[in-house]
Amino acid sequence: MADALFLAISVLTIGSAIAALEMRSLVYGSIALMGTLGGVAGFYVMLDSPFVAMFQLAVYVGSIAVLILFTVMLVKRELIFKKIEDPKRKFAGIGLMLIVILALGAVIMDSGIKTISTDSDPVDFREIGGDFLTYYWPALILMALILAGSVMGALVLARREDTIENEQ
Amino acid sequence: MSVIAPKFRLGYFLKGIFDNAFWILTIVTLAGIPAIQIVLFYLELPVIDGELLTAFLAFTWLFNPTMQVPLIKALIYSDLFRIVAFPGFGFAALIAAGTIFVERKMLAKLQLRVGPFYCGKVEGILQLAGDGLKLISKEIIIPAKADKPLFWAAPVLFVGTAAAFVALIPVAPGGWVVADLDVGLLAVFAVIGFFPIITILSAWSANSKFPFIGGIRALHQMVSFEIPLILSLLGVVILTGTLNLSEIVESQSSFPWIIFMPIGAIVFFTTMLAELERIPFDLPEAESEIVAGWLTEFSGMMYGLVQLGSYLKLYAFAALFVIIFLGGWTGPVFWPPLETELITEGIPIPNYAGDPILTVAAPGLPLLDQDPNEWVLQQQGELQYTSGQLLVSGVIWFVLKTVGVIFFILLPRGVFPRIRLDMLLHIGWYKLIGLSFVNIFIALGLVYAGVIGPGGIL
Repeated sequence: MADALFLAISVLTIGSAIAALEMRSLVYGSIALMGTLGGVAGFYVMLDSPFVAMFQLAVYVGSIAVLILFTVMLVKRELIFKKIEDPKRKFAGIGLMLIVILALGAVIMDSGIKTISTDSDPVDFREIGGDFLTYYWPALILMALILAGSVMGALVLARREDTIENEQ
Repeated sequence: MSVIAPKFRLGYFLKGIFDNAFWILTIVTLAGIPAIQIVLFYLELPVIDGELLTAFLAFTWLFNPTMQVPLIKALIYSDLFRIVAFPGFGFAALIAAGTIFVERKMLAKLQLRVGPFYCGKVEGILQLAGDGLKLISKEIIIPAKADKPLFWAAPVLFVGTAAAFVALIPVAPGGWVVADLDVGLLAVFAVIGFFPIITILSAWSANSKFPFIGGIRALHQMVSFEIPLILSLLGVVILTGTLNLSEIVESQSSFPWIIFMPIGAIVFFTTMLAELERIPFDLPEAESEIVAGWLTEFSGMMYGLVQLGSYLKLYAFAALFVIIFLGGWTGPVFWPPLETELITEGIPIPNYAGDPILTVAAPGLPLLDQDPNEWVLQQQGELQYTSGQLLVSGVIWFVLKTVGVIFFILLPRGVFPRIRLDMLLHIGWYKLIGLSFVNIFIALGLVYAGVIGPGGIL
């Protein structure tokens, strides 16, 4: 049962990832991207961490995919993409992807992942929260400050003087 | 005229009946019985009284009064019943249907109108059934340049997502919920996040300007109100220390959380109105500006499905408010325990002279207790309430509170005008987010002052 589920989720994830890249229609491409992100959430559920899975759904599918859809619908496709049909590029891309996957796989396989016992209890999300608020809090604060700074910078950059004058 | 309504002839009438009977019998024999047998092959059948319940036994026991109660009990405690009927879709759809009728009638009374009146003689009670028949019989029109797969999928996805939301709502003590997740509240947030996607996809796929404007408005509104919605519920999570909705309800056995965090309740109620696209936040469906907003191109049962989904969503949001702030099913247990004689030897019913003529006994009861020994324990005085008593009175309290919240959701529609989009976004981003942070700080203050939480006074 678990194997069949794993296979189904893998097919969904990888298939919709390929579809997200290959679809001509950008809207359907972003729907396929949602399928990929949802499949990753399925992997998290299978790994006994529903907390991460729910955040994956709420943040990536619920917010980031919506932002992508919103952008795609408001922008004319012809303005951002030119069709380049070049088989050489395609094969080069596939080759590059294979090299990257092989390298990453070698690194992961070499890192001692095989020695992890799989029948241990899943980590409780309360412990994760406790760790974040006790041991890792400086890193959290730093990340929050960086994010706030970047949002403010983006707001300052995006601020247009002329529209404000026009409104008044 | 004769084409539309031909003259009645008994021969034609009988022929019609026999034709229908012939075809029904043929189809049932050729398709129905094999289908039932194939389904029975894969079905996990319950064991009752040490005997596997097969289809033959079920049909036999249906007419055996002593075995009916265990049979019904096995049905009630099956997963299918949970998903289809009681805490799941059927229950929610029933409340949603009641909501639609009460909304129309109540708004009419508020605005000194009559409302539905003629359908069903008594105050238009059959209006809903009439509307349903109308929606089913109407033609489904799809715009010529619409994106057909998405346009077809959107209403179904909307109902499906609303049903997933309903499935997370616990209704009664003892695990009466379809999906009892340890991270239930997060799952609710994840499910709520799907609604704007479906809305914008259906709006885009209709390829028409009014749905698209409505969809963009819905997206603005839902995305910006999701943040205060999530933040306003975090105070309760801080105080209870759990994300499981059943545990959140059980933490309110002595007092509901609305006493300590009225600000959070107000913020959540306001964001709820915005997420449900109800007046005063119904810009996505503003009928006086953009026809019907993102629902403009839907016709027939597709529109019906979207409406069903939105009313299921309304029930689920009201139930979430009840669970988190009003204490869910907690309340005094008023359902009386069963009489001893009813189960053991039966209650004699006398005639006018006082001679017993009839004995009423129900040997299979108690029906709603998961563990039949609970009833014995209660008779010995070791258990205060059986789970059957808790279930019945819990459901009644839950429904009463939910109906009250639904009433307050419906009420603004008769009173308030629609607000402007910039006012809406201003409320969402400036006021509600600030208020929800105030709520979180109140919760943190209560925890750190030692009032509630581990080692607290209460």
